[in-house]
Amino acid sequence: MTPLEYLVVGLVLAGVFFSFVAVVGIIRLPDLYTRAHATSKSDTLGTVLSLGGIALLFGAEVSAVKTVLLLLFMLITNPTAAHAIARAAHDQGIEPWTASDEEGD
Amino acid sequence: MPDTSSRILVPVGESSTFRNTVAYAVREARRIAAETGEESTVHFVYPVRWQLVDESERSAADAVADALERARVWANDDLDYDDDGDLDAEDVSVSIETAVVGEDRYLFSPNDFAEVLLEYAHDRGLDRIVLDPEYQPGGSAPMLQPLEFELARSGLLVEEAPVDRVVERGRLPSRANVSKALAMFGVSFGFYLLLAGVFDTFNLVTGAVSAGVVTAVFARISFVNTPSATGTVARIARFLLYVPYLLWEIVKANFSVAYIILHPDLPIDPEMQRYRAAIWGDLSVTTLANSITLTPGTLTVDMDRDSLIIHSLTGSARDGLAGGALERAVRFVFYGRSAARIPTPAERGTIASWTDDDQTDGDE
Amino acid sequence: MLGQLSTFETVLLGAAGAFITFAVVLLYRVVRGPTMEDRVIAINAIGTNTVVVLALVAAAFGLSGFLDVALVYALLNFLASIAISKFIVERGGVL
Repeated sequence: MTPLEYLVVGLVLAGVFFSFVAVVGIIRLPDLYTRAHATSKSDTLGTVLSLGGIALLFGAEVSAVKTVLLLLFMLITNPTAAHAIARAAHDQGIEPWTASDEEGD
Repeated sequence: MPDTSSRILVPVGESSTFRNTVAYAVREARRIAAETGEESTVHFVYPVRWQLVDESERSAADAVADALERARVWANDDLDYDDDGDLDAEDVSVSIETAVVGEDRYLFSPNDFAEVLLEYAHDRGLDRIVLDPEYQPGGSAPMLQPLEFELARSGLLVEEAPVDRVVERGRLPSRANVSKALAMFGVSFGFYLLLAGVFDTFNLVTGAVSAGVVTAVFARISFVNTPSATGTVARIARFLLYVPYLLWEIVKANFSVAYIILHPDLPIDPEMQRYRAAIWGDLSVTTLANSITLTPGTLTVDMDRDSLIIHSLTGSARDGLAGGALERAVRFVFYGRSAARIPTPAERGTIASWTDDDQTDGDE
Repeated sequence: MLGQLSTFETVLLGAAGAFITFAVVLLYRVVRGPTMEDRVIAINAIGTNTVVVLALVAAAFGLSGFLDVALVYALLNFLASIAISKFIVERGGVL
């Protein structure tokens, strides 16, 4: 493998790691607001790292520009979507989980 | 409740039927004053969607003042000019008032607009609202109907002024203009060519046609404000400085979140907070809200009137937010270096724990 | 096509496999809920993973057409999240 390929693999694997964290977060965290933290941050970074790696791989082709566009789009829309969902929940009056709820569980 | 009233509120905004709405409101006020002999009053109120403190919003402030001034001049013209012979100018007393509301709020939804208007009407004892049928308080978003609905819930008399609508909206100078069209065309043409990937004649021609159609349909909708080349370039330049900072914050955020999530004990202490950000305008508020969402342990949940509702994952995340570094960075991007130097949210005291009391407040 | 994959391509496809696994695991949250918002969050995350999978496949096999699919998928995924969030709130106007 070439040095570029090592870099790409590194980025993609880092992306896999953060996406893994996001998945664990979505499964483990206690309520939807905290789960939204997991998608908005970890999942976004995981996606961005993977797509960044792929963009490097494409080099100077049009595909690289498309990948970067996809990356930017994810960077903007993922937090926005998380916000929209959290806002919907907030409007519905769903109460956030707090540390004091833990004893009840 | 009587079906008419002489105390009229007219929300003001640029529209093609603004002039006729003014005429209708004044005519009504005059008619009722003549019938009842009471003094009637018409208030022209401009709800603004931003806070008029910023250098770059100066021209917008002038536009607001100009619109209100025009309303006053037109109304006085209508009062002086006796179009019906049976109304005697000496007998009727109509007072005209103008006002700007909403400067201290972040007006966002029809609900917010209705709220400031009703507040004003309540303070001044106005109980009839005449709406301009082309009134668009949200700039480009269609919100007259929901606004009308929200206003009608208050029990005040709400009506649309029965004026002829102008069919060709495109003629209005404030709606579509060359720089909006150029910006729209450039963006859509660029996107088309990017997806096509090949710059041959076929793609250039079909791209130009598609971009032309998109421009014709959407140029008025996509940009609320006229994009100015120099302002945009300066913002983009400052934004490029902001990006590395944001990326660094995002990486830090992710390591802390990864640590928390993978920790066996799940050490979280979530809390909701209300945060009054010193930032105005759709794009800058969106940028701040998204940046907050991307950075350590904080998530923007709602924009409630003038403040952001933030959900934070841990105590240290809350301290970071109160430090105001992000807010300062966003102010730098959108308002320039001088605007970046302001007290932190903690010093201003504009950050507070969100409680149920606030919620009942907000719903009322 | 699968016969002569280089190590590098195998790694990319392996990463794609990992993302697919994550998507399957996320289905647990979609089924379990408990609220509609939880499901939307999980579905949004699944969609994000799908976009990355598409991009990885595009990179591994050099099929740049997959990138266009990924772009459209990303747009749809975002729209779906926004539309559902808007739909479950009676008030409307989520954004």
